[in-house]
Amino acid sequence: MTREELKGLEQLNEFAFKADEAEKMLEIFGNMKGEEAVMDSFDLSNTDIMVHVMPMTNIFREDVRQQPFAREDLLKGAPEHTDDSWQVPRLVK
Amino acid sequence: MKYYISEINKDGTIAVDDTILVKGVLCSAGSHIMDGFEPLFSAEAVERLEKAGYKLSGKTNVGEFGLDLMGEFSYYGAVSEGGKLAGAAAALVKKGEAKAALNVDLNGSPRRAAALGGVDFIKPTYGTVSRYGVIPAACSGEQIGVTAASAEAAAEVLGVIAGHDDKDGTSLPQASYEYKTDEGVKGKKIAVISELFDAASDEVKKTVEAYAEGLKAEGAEVKTISLEEAKAAQLAWTVLSAAESCNNFSRYDGVKFGYRTPDYKNIDDLYVNTRTEGLNFLTKATVLYGSNVLSKGRYFDCYDKALRIRRLVSEKMAEIFKEFDAVLVPACGEASYEEYDIKEAFEKTYKEALFTAIPSITGIPAMATGGVQLMAAAFGESTLLSVAAAMERRG
Amino acid sequence: MKYEIVIGLETHVELSTNSKIFCSCGGHSSPIEPNDCVCPACAGMPGMLPVMNKRVVELAVQAGLLLNCEISKYTTFDKKSYYYPDLPAAYQTTQWFHPICKNGHVEVTTKDGTREIGIKQIHMEEDAGKLVHDEWTDTSMVDFNRTSVPLIEIVSHPDFRSADEVLTYLKNLKAMFRFAGISECEEGAMRCDVNISLRPEGTTELGVRTEMKNMSSLVSIERAIKYETARHMDALERNTEVLVQETRRWDDTKGRTFSMRNKETAADYRYFPDPNLMPIVIDDEWLGEIRDNLPASIEEKTAEYKDYGFGDKEIEMLISERGLCAILDAVVDGGISPKSAAAWILTECAGILRKNGELVGSLSIEPSKLVTIIKMVEEGKINRGGGKKVLAAVLEKDVDPVQFCKDNSLDAQADEGAVAAVVADVIKNNQNAVNDFLGGKQKAFQALFGGCMKELKGNGDPQVIRSLLEKELEKLK
Repeated sequence: MTREELKGLEQLNEFAFKADEAEKMLEIFGNMKGEEAVMDSFDLSNTDIMVHVMPMTNIFREDVRQQPFAREDLLKGAPEHTDDSWQVPRLVK
Repeated sequence: MKYYISEINKDGTIAVDDTILVKGVLCSAGSHIMDGFEPLFSAEAVERLEKAGYKLSGKTNVGEFGLDLMGEFSYYGAVSEGGKLAGAAAALVKKGEAKAALNVDLNGSPRRAAALGGVDFIKPTYGTVSRYGVIPAACSGEQIGVTAASAEAAAEVLGVIAGHDDKDGTSLPQASYEYKTDEGVKGKKIAVISELFDAASDEVKKTVEAYAEGLKAEGAEVKTISLEEAKAAQLAWTVLSAAESCNNFSRYDGVKFGYRTPDYKNIDDLYVNTRTEGLNFLTKATVLYGSNVLSKGRYFDCYDKALRIRRLVSEKMAEIFKEFDAVLVPACGEASYEEYDIKEAFEKTYKEALFTAIPSITGIPAMATGGVQLMAAAFGESTLLSVAAAMERRG
Repeated sequence: MKYEIVIGLETHVELSTNSKIFCSCGGHSSPIEPNDCVCPACAGMPGMLPVMNKRVVELAVQAGLLLNCEISKYTTFDKKSYYYPDLPAAYQTTQWFHPICKNGHVEVTTKDGTREIGIKQIHMEEDAGKLVHDEWTDTSMVDFNRTSVPLIEIVSHPDFRSADEVLTYLKNLKAMFRFAGISECEEGAMRCDVNISLRPEGTTELGVRTEMKNMSSLVSIERAIKYETARHMDALERNTEVLVQETRRWDDTKGRTFSMRNKETAADYRYFPDPNLMPIVIDDEWLGEIRDNLPASIEEKTAEYKDYGFGDKEIEMLISERGLCAILDAVVDGGISPKSAAAWILTECAGILRKNGELVGSLSIEPSKLVTIIKMVEEGKINRGGGKKVLAAVLEKDVDPVQFCKDNSLDAQADEGAVAAVVADVIKNNQNAVNDFLGGKQKAFQALFGGCMKELKGNGDPQVIRSLLEKELEKLK
């Protein structure tokens, strides 16, 4: 991974590394790439993926409306808000 | 040095990790980015404890989102005992200031903290304790478990919090569980996984060997076996948990709650500066590694393979548990840890994942006790608790 | 060179559920004020877990059946990551690997003939919130009411060859989904991403494609397609610009499209299977149940009403609103003849609603009450005028029709027996007038008739009174 590629990855995840952190991160990527090779020592062609460790299916709730939370409580901890909405810097100019 | 980030009741007996929500009590998850976050509801496990008459003592210090070894990279500082790193909850239980603690086990940190702190921690089978109200990181494997001074106390508290919850779509259907501590050790077959044993320090090896001798003296049969998938499990859980964490931590952006940077002119600054200032290096490294393994070019080469490794390891463990009642391995690689530079944290926790990843990636129960780690087949908690109890009685 | 337009559509449709897809906050039509239907999960706060709304699966399957799709036996959810303030958790739960429906098709008929449009897949997903931009405070207001409202996304193959086909397809979908109760398809509840490219006629390779996202007005879609067609044509024929694969934004006031920031196109959504949502298995039994619960299609209903002998105009009025059809069908099931049921709904009910400035489409009445009223009239228990009075009372105050008749003595006056008794009384008590009439004075009939009406307090059916009075007087001649 190059410094430029790392920068793209930082942007995608909305934060920025300092120079020394970026250097360390590149080292981590290099090391992990080597570690990942361990997965190739197994023949996985007949092994399906396993997303859930417990084999359950069709876990549903009924289509019933409930509203136990109040808007003012939800907005209380917002960094910036009006009486009824969260607020961010204007997106469309 | 902060054991509690928020205190709740002076006469409370149950400590709760700060990655578990308690209604109306500020929750930090050990992170600056959560500043001022006040949950509007309590975790199901917390509700169950309170309904059963237990009182909470407070919210215990954790590393940012629980990603580190045992809490050393909390925004509120590390907890140490005698110059060595310690888990806040394990330390409180050890001192007798809390009867038990609830902790989220996503990368084995409460197991490590208990093993090093001289107390017990049990991570139950995935799906037995509701994750409703857990600050999510690695949803496919994390579980709330119990730290306690004895197997009996752990069994008691686990029995209260386990059972089906409609609010968690991965919660198993069984309504409640009864955990036993009196099944004994005699006649039990215990396997030591050589790949994990060999990777530990000499001091840790001695602890495991001593435990094995104790088991034999109690009438158990102990045998060393090989699990060639051990390293693959370590890698695969690191891949899966990093990817899921990356996705779960993307919600912390300074818009809805928590910390917002004072330094922004537009939404891009707001996002980038909030996250740059609010998250620590370990979280950032985890997020970037997780983002990378999910990216277009890498998904099938890495993430998809890790999901297959999960099945492979699960099948292999199921085979082992056909022959053995439990597995005995180190809980961590070293007998103690000192404070270290956060830039080493990603690799340090990766290294420790060799010892802790198998239960996380397969969902089987695990227990730290007597400085070692035991694992059992799914729903084998009573075996773990009984072995631990017998060994504790032995002293 | 002659070019052909190649268009593919991704159509998002909000489903008509009571609650959202993964939490129990109110669904599509509930909110009144911003952030009224919001919980910690909708606001991106940590700790809640998604639990799937069963109704969403059923509606998505019904949509798939209407579009002739294969219904997946095994379907799962995935997470899609990107940052935007209307996406509270910075991920959207959608279906990437195993969508619920695949390989469907629908026909569109335009002036150029009938063509088949292939449906690549239909998947379930959650909607995003809404942003309101405020120039004065230089902020955007974030409203999460729409967050997690269930959507289906219908992905077509690039099979459209004209704006006309696109519009016809969208109108058909709208009518179909409304009629089946899958979506109300109100303003904004159906939104399209339009992919468009041009290629020389007779070739098969696709040209450079541009995408216009999130378009909801049919008029705008038509204008945007025409604009983009012209822009592509100019680029290809006159080299006015070099076309690039990109997302463009349609500006309705300026009447043109604009290139969007490149960040949008460079996005890597990092899809992965959602660990919190278990797979859904749709076995034959459940599929059968869902199929059985699918209401008749517009075509089936039209054929049924033709068999009833309804005219085209009547059919069109009824089909325009599935609620009307449901009322009519229930009234017919209640033992009323189809023609009579249609007349009562489209004439009497419509008349009363019109007086109140409402359209017949908004009719809301308990079908059993309408059946009771029609039966009372047809069995002669009340007259038609009385029937209309009861109907108005039912529509306005939802009264019980039988009780209303009793309370307002409507049934008594319509009862021929009661009228006969009054007529007999009036004849007996007005011998002078009777003799005058028998003596040839026609005016005396009016006096007797007026006497009857007075006794009946003006509520009697004049026709009935007149004929009974004539009959009784005839006997005396």
